[in-house]
Amino acid sequence: MTHATILVVEDEPDIRRFLRSSLGAEGYRVVESPNGRRGTLDAGMHKPDLAIVDLGLPDFDGVEVIRHIREWSPMPILVLSARIQERSKVEALDAGADDYVTKPFGVGELLARVRAALRHAARPASGTELNFGEARINFEKRQALRDGAAVHLTPIEFRLLACLARHLGMVVTHRQLLTEVWGPTHAADTHYLRVYMKQLREKLEADPVQPKHLLTETGVGYRLAD
Amino acid sequence: MKWRGYAYALGATAACTLAGLALGTWLELVNIAMVYLLGVVLVALYGGRGAVVAASILNIAAYNFFFVPPRGTFHVDDPQYLVTFVMMLAVGLIVSWLTETVRARAQAQADLAIQAETERIRNALLSSISHDLRTPLAVISGASSSLAEGGERLAAPERAALAQSIFRESQEMSELIAKVLQMTRLESGGLTLERDWCSIGEIGACVLRRLKPRLADHLVMVDLPADLPLARVDGALIEQALANLLENAARHTPPRTLIRLRAHVDGAEMVVSVEDFGPGLPEGSLERLFDKFHPGRRGGVGLGLAICRAIVALHGGRIWAERLPGVGTAFRFSLALETPPEMPAEALAKEMR
Repeated sequence: MTHATILVVEDEPDIRRFLRSSLGAEGYRVVESPNGRRGTLDAGMHKPDLAIVDLGLPDFDGVEVIRHIREWSPMPILVLSARIQERSKVEALDAGADDYVTKPFGVGELLARVRAALRHAARPASGTELNFGEARINFEKRQALRDGAAVHLTPIEFRLLACLARHLGMVVTHRQLLTEVWGPTHAADTHYLRVYMKQLREKLEADPVQPKHLLTETGVGYRLAD
Repeated sequence: MKWRGYAYALGATAACTLAGLALGTWLELVNIAMVYLLGVVLVALYGGRGAVVAASILNIAAYNFFFVPPRGTFHVDDPQYLVTFVMMLAVGLIVSWLTETVRARAQAQADLAIQAETERIRNALLSSISHDLRTPLAVISGASSSLAEGGERLAAPERAALAQSIFRESQEMSELIAKVLQMTRLESGGLTLERDWCSIGEIGACVLRRLKPRLADHLVMVDLPADLPLARVDGALIEQALANLLENAARHTPPRTLIRLRAHVDGAEMVVSVEDFGPGLPEGSLERLFDKFHPGRRGGVGLGLAICRAIVALHGGRIWAERLPGVGTAFRFSLALETPPEMPAEALAKEMR
């Protein structure tokens, strides 16, 4: 996957430069767009394997770029957001972005997100097996093991875990989780998530108070890290 | 306010009339006029101009009716009394004008004092921020220029170290700028709470994960009981408050100091604490620690705690610092607890299937 093409939609030339050099050094081919309009066109023309979209674009909102791309492509999309843009970050994720990196960021963090997203796109979680930490889950057989011992998971817990597993390594917003697990009428019932995530951690994490896999992204959602 | 002035006027007239009637047997008519004049002056001190005019007219009417012969009528025999009436009105208006002038002058002085204080705070901010930005900027420009000019002549580990310090210092700067922006947003009132049911345990774990590198030199103990109730708060802001408290503890205590993050329920509220077992605070007011630009125990702009206070205040909670018995300091804040909504039956019903 080292020859993947990455589209960078970012208006700051200096940020584009360091993205180009650090992504290039990892063997990715980089296509650069300085604004949203070009970004939308370039996405169609170059058919990149992944798009990195800045949320603060001069012509139109990064969220718009994401909506345009999502109309025809499931390619992974990472958004770059400033700290002050908490809300548009969640909006971008709900519009179909797969993950985010907050500016200013280190290249290490960005590359890790890029790798996770590309890996995920290359082989989407099959939906049958999931292994993380000491937990082994088989969704087909509805079996969960921790340290080799059987753990009972309720149907909702299975569904929640499966939803996180489908986006392994990436953030899933509260709205996405609630809609997929409980249905659209419960999209705002965040307290369900708090209760069920706690139960999952207690059943599957070695230290439920400081989890290593079922991670909270405060104000955004949850992330399953393997 | 306006109506209160007219009430004063009416009250003054009634009081003067009663006093006049009580003392009427041994007071000269002209001295009873003085009693009414006193009433007008008092109204002028506490009411507005309208109240003074009202008091003058009421007093003149009452004086005329109850005391000026022929008594019991508004008819005036002696034109001398007309002069009394005009005098009473004039004195009332003059006193009222004087009072207002003095009041306006005092207000102007107070405004000036506030302006001076704002100016002082702004200057403190500027000098403190520019100081805090200058150091990392000096490191960044120095290190990056040696990288740009030294190039291949620098040994690889040397280059890596320079690049590392550029990264570290720029992170530091960006933190500081984010804090200044946040403080501005909190103060301008341009920030609305996005309350949602949140788990303080989750927020705590999230903060600790995020701050891991900064807390690496300290011993961190976590006491977040599994049965803590959910709180309806703005998760992102509470996370920030917690992060600021933890950073503050790490910054102001020597390495290897124990820092404890805990939360417990106390009656109808939850108390979240960051305790450090460091050298403790010097003598002085604990309340002032939360002031903006409080110089802090070791440099820094001192916005962290002010931001915490603003965030907690937005949530309707309290924040305070305590000296721990023996040694160390605790920073605590409280959040009101509400009963979380029930998990509806259908959620449980699905569960049963």
